[in-house]
Amino acid sequence: MNKWFKSGSPWIWLSAGGVSLSLISVLGLLWLIASRGLSYFWPSELYQFNVVDQQGVEKIVIGEIYDREQIPVDQLAHLNLVLDPEQEVLERLLIKTGNRELVSLDFRWLLSHNIKNTQTPKDLVVVERRTHGNFYGYIDSIKLDGKPVTTTQLPELLARVEKFQSQMDQLQKSDIGAINYQLERLRLKTRKYQLDNKLTSDIQAQIDTEVEQLNAEYATLEKELLEYREDISRDHIVMRAMGGELVTINFEHILKITFNNKLSIIDKSVLFFSQISSFLVEDPREANTEGGVFPAIFGTVLMVLLMTVIVSPFGVIAAIYLHEYAGKNALTKLLRIAVINLAGVPSIVYGVFGLGFFVYMVGGSLDQLFYSENLPSPTFGTPGVLWSALTLAILTLPVVIVSTEEGLSRIPSAMRHGSLALGATKAETLWRIILPIASPAIMTGIILAIARAAGEVAPLMLVGVVKMAPNLPLDGNFPFLHLDRKFMHLGFHIYDVGFQSPNVEAARPLVYATALLLVTIIIALNMTAVSIRNNLREKYKMLEH
Amino acid sequence: MISISPNALANGSDSSLAKTLDLNNLTPEQVALDINNLNLFYGEKQALNNISMSIPKGQVTAFIGPSGCGKSTLLRCINRMNDLVDNCHISGEINLHGSNIYNKHVDVADLRRKVGMVFQRPNPFPKTIYENVVYGLRITGENNRRKLDEAVEKSLKSAALWNEVKDRLHESALGLSGGQQQRLVIARAIAIQPEVLLLDEPTSALDPISTLTIEELINDLKKQFTVVIVTHNMQQAARVSDQTAFMYMGDLIEYNDTNTLFTTPLKKKTEDYITGRYG
Repeated sequence: MNKWFKSGSPWIWLSAGGVSLSLISVLGLLWLIASRGLSYFWPSELYQFNVVDQQGVEKIVIGEIYDREQIPVDQLAHLNLVLDPEQEVLERLLIKTGNRELVSLDFRWLLSHNIKNTQTPKDLVVVERRTHGNFYGYIDSIKLDGKPVTTTQLPELLARVEKFQSQMDQLQKSDIGAINYQLERLRLKTRKYQLDNKLTSDIQAQIDTEVEQLNAEYATLEKELLEYREDISRDHIVMRAMGGELVTINFEHILKITFNNKLSIIDKSVLFFSQISSFLVEDPREANTEGGVFPAIFGTVLMVLLMTVIVSPFGVIAAIYLHEYAGKNALTKLLRIAVINLAGVPSIVYGVFGLGFFVYMVGGSLDQLFYSENLPSPTFGTPGVLWSALTLAILTLPVVIVSTEEGLSRIPSAMRHGSLALGATKAETLWRIILPIASPAIMTGIILAIARAAGEVAPLMLVGVVKMAPNLPLDGNFPFLHLDRKFMHLGFHIYDVGFQSPNVEAARPLVYATALLLVTIIIALNMTAVSIRNNLREKYKMLEH
Repeated sequence: MISISPNALANGSDSSLAKTLDLNNLTPEQVALDINNLNLFYGEKQALNNISMSIPKGQVTAFIGPSGCGKSTLLRCINRMNDLVDNCHISGEINLHGSNIYNKHVDVADLRRKVGMVFQRPNPFPKTIYENVVYGLRITGENNRRKLDEAVEKSLKSAALWNEVKDRLHESALGLSGGQQQRLVIARAIAIQPEVLLLDEPTSALDPISTLTIEELINDLKKQFTVVIVTHNMQQAARVSDQTAFMYMGDLIEYNDTNTLFTTPLKKKTEDYITGRYG
């Protein structure tokens, strides 16, 4: 036994155990998020329950089962239920009943004890709508321009609606949006002339003609939009809800109608993947509780890329200065201490700094100098994607500096001497020899920076992230990348959906799904950077003596 | 007893057949480098004591001496590589073409283009063989593909490496053997056509065959450049050089043509060293 202790094996077991524990925790976390998140997309069965309530009245409840809970009997003592004395727990089900126009709450709890009968009728339908959430019920009739049609024509009707809807979206977002953008620019141009006192009647006339032209275009587009709208709103579907009420839903509000109980496994799988893909590419609806998260994905990735572009040159240059050019004096020591301390500052403090310095001071001055025609409405003097990227760049700067310095110090001085002896200056040696060899280490620094920045939410809340952004920072209007716009962020989205949404129960699977997405994106970014680094390592591999 | 065979002397230096130079009375055209009263300090410690010598053009000069005597330090003074060492102070001058290289206005990078150096351990860059050889040329701004190709072929031929690598010019230089790498480094140094070539113990890390190849190479190189070589190996110095300088503890003890120094040394310290009594 003693021998085993002395041989060092216990330490190996200990470290192996530690690593295994960490791996299991990480995988367990991923599995938990994945299972809870992905269950949101799997099309679930629709149930019809015959329920007896307190007064003995029988009711029908239609919906999806969201959750099951076991409640100890003591907690439900106030309900005065007639129970088997042996029974210790009662099960209750969380049912999503939708139908927001008929009932006040989307969700309700049902005690299994009260459920007399459970069925899964094949004709039950879930209607996904643009507003007011889902509708569960039976199809009563479908009216096309006033004339009734059969349910077999449903898929083709829905396809037509989808096509029109996407064309309408295109019109509204890109075409009309572009015209609005142009009009705004003309307004700013006029204001600028006004402020400079250079507004002559010629210029005014010129601008007026342009405005007229744009307004004419706008009018035609608007007419087109109205035509589309009229076209699809003449069809509607009449649904029968669980209480027997008839509700008319106009086709222009419908996104999807599915007979969940009629679906085979293959149909469900297809639907599963199409739900996931629409989650990834669509915009959010209903205050972020429904729809997709595309703007948040876009905002997160764009901001991380911007931050990388900003932090890399500064970090690398700072490291080069500290390693190659700085003398061994007190100032250098002070600089190093400052860099190390940067890493220890809490991230929310960075947010406050970013707000005060970047947004108000720098942004305010930029507005005064270049965008004075827009004042008092701020352009850059307000949180935006540029200031967010800059704030996070400062946050991750020490990581890049330290990794780069580490990489530089590992290069044998024989390389430097060889280059200098051939008549290269120090700068040429750095650029041609040293930096390429140190590039894997620089990539390591960038990887660590991305990993840290992609997860930070607190500072961003102060310097640029919003719950709902009307447009993306990148679009088709010059100058294409709008650094002054606010953006959406996945981390903030999780916070917002999980804690600020009106219906926390409804939001919970969405929180897990978004968390899974965020983890996946970060892993993808890291894997990309790691593969770039491996390529560089191969290229500059030095055969060690 | 002298332990150098006369054969070794006859094979190595051509000057055994040509007339030996009077090192104290060289004409300015014959001088490549003029070292005058050179003193070097590492902090407080003095490493070179008042060195004065003239290094002739187009010949091979060897510095020999026991470890720590200052020969590598002296060599590094000639292309100012000692500037990279902290706390290093120089007094005195080294004249290349009559102008002091330690003058304040001298462009050090330019100097190092004229005075090339090859180090003890081969240090090729982690690039292709081609890129290694043209590195110095690219620094000067030469990017003409044809000129670079010509320079590569010429230098690799001069370095006796062309036949071995001509089919793999665009493979990594790190795939070559030690002897090949050292020849590559020599090719890299001569590609920029320096005037003086400094070799700091170029074969001490190599096997005997590679050593022999490089020694033959040095004999060819002196037709184009002035060569100064530092070596631990006395036999090598005897084989390869025309002039030899013996240094001890920072002093220049004796400087004479190789034949004379190895057969009839003037100073006792020199004799002790070359007969192996210490070193």
